[in-house]
Amino acid sequence: MATVTTAPRTAPGFKDFLKTVLLAELWVGLWVTLKNQFRPHITVEYPKETVELSPRFRGVPRLRFHPESGEELCIACHLCETVCPDDCIHIVSEKNPDGKGKRLVSFEINYERCCFCGLCVDPCPTKPLTAIYMSHDYEMADFKREGFVAPLKTLLDGIEPTTYKE
Amino acid sequence: MDTPLIQTVLIPALQVLLVIAILPLGIAYLQLVERKVLGFMQVRLAPRRVGWHGLLQPIADAVKLLIKEDIVPDKADRFLFTLAPIVTVIPALAGLAVIPIAGAPFTLFGYTVRPFITDLNVAVLYLLAISSLGIYGIILGGWASNSKYSLLGALRSSAQMISYEVPLGFAIIGVLMLSGSASMVEIVNSQKTAHVWYILPQLVGFFCYFISAVAETNRVPFDLPEAEAELVAGFHTEYSGMKFAFFFLAEYTNMIVVSSIATILFFGGWLRPFPNAAGSAWLENGWLFFTPLILLGFVGWLVDQKAGTGLNGMFTGLAAGAVLGFLLGRFDVGGLASASVPVLSGAFWFSLKVSIFLFVYIWFRGTYPRYRYDQLMSLGWKWLIPLSVLNVLVTGIAMVLFG
Repeated sequence: MATVTTAPRTAPGFKDFLKTVLLAELWVGLWVTLKNQFRPHITVEYPKETVELSPRFRGVPRLRFHPESGEELCIACHLCETVCPDDCIHIVSEKNPDGKGKRLVSFEINYERCCFCGLCVDPCPTKPLTAIYMSHDYEMADFKREGFVAPLKTLLDGIEPTTYKE
Repeated sequence: MDTPLIQTVLIPALQVLLVIAILPLGIAYLQLVERKVLGFMQVRLAPRRVGWHGLLQPIADAVKLLIKEDIVPDKADRFLFTLAPIVTVIPALAGLAVIPIAGAPFTLFGYTVRPFITDLNVAVLYLLAISSLGIYGIILGGWASNSKYSLLGALRSSAQMISYEVPLGFAIIGVLMLSGSASMVEIVNSQKTAHVWYILPQLVGFFCYFISAVAETNRVPFDLPEAEAELVAGFHTEYSGMKFAFFFLAEYTNMIVVSSIATILFFGGWLRPFPNAAGSAWLENGWLFFTPLILLGFVGWLVDQKAGTGLNGMFTGLAAGAVLGFLLGRFDVGGLASASVPVLSGAFWFSLKVSIFLFVYIWFRGTYPRYRYDQLMSLGWKWLIPLSVLNVLVTGIAMVLFG
């Protein structure tokens, strides 16, 4: 059986008495706040300044063009639509009239439902880059619900970020 | 108008008007200083949007308070609800009447102006009486609001005031015994003749006085009456607009009055440090040197906070201020140094000491958590009252033995 040993309680000595009488703890607290005043601030004044994002930051999902040819990368495979846990991606595709495969008619992401999990990016089969990717945009407030359903054009070109007057 | 009438009626009336006109502005800026210092203590920036480093924020706040809707709750007692802020703010302002900012009267346009509104021979008693009147406004406001939070805040406030009025009075008695007078001017003058500020012989008294004063003004760590974590906003929960502003004004005026009393009783009021030492005579014109030093140092500090340059800006500001102040004094710019106005010198040292006290108030607010109700009571009754009574006893014995 393990024996529990506790440190013997020492009777408060003269040092403890002095600490209590001279309010030592209170002075320690005051010293901490006094020092803090001279530290540089950590505030980021948001609309004027923004924090630096990590490269792996997951903002709103968007589509992108081929980096060289400038064509749409998406091959309308519906994989992202299938994997999406929130059902926020809605794709309409048709048979490609000139050649094989399918092509996009419309591609919508409902940002009201999107949980920014990034699962849609993982199965995307296109080379050299995934067609759908997590962008670094995060300023997406809007006054109307319609503003949260992004059509193909918005997804490809992105939204012009709102600029605020000084 | 004949001269005596102007001398005895008009000039005091103008002084009263001056205090009432300047005080709210000063308090608005004291509020900005409080927000800035609290912000810096919490490593953030504090107001910065209105004006350079938020310097116009108090004006914006004042305009906001003035044009805000003045809500009176349906079930509130309308008359008492309106009366309460007035009852709170008048004693607070009245307290300022006996605070001298400098010693000697000065001459302005041929009239003698005294640097205080009145010099009562019972000024200390008057202040104690006036400061305990302010509690009525808080109790009335809390009761008339017909809200549980307000009532709880008001009840706590009254209990607190009753507990801390006693050590506050006892702590002052030591100074009264040493100086042999209850007039503010006489107390400061006796510190000059005694060659020592009363903080040294009355350290325990000052300790008791300051703690009781913080409790008396309902400030952190004794801000139980408004305890925002438990009681929403305490006694002024239901107040808005100008009525709220009045409570606010009263709280900060009380802070200033209490700090002024501490300065006068324990720190030599308008006297410069070492008032009788010949080597420190230049301190009489110290305001010429220290005003640019402090102002530029503060500006540099503000710049530092934003630029993140450590403390370079503050040290640059302090150095520039020191050089500027030294040059002002050395080359006697505008005849300021040789004029040697005792009022300016007195007002400078007085307001410097009061500002340090106000800073300590804010410093406490940034540091300490709130006392629990029973802790507050036991601190007052079990420690401060015995300590302050003991202080009176020891002072008396010492005066008999060594005086």
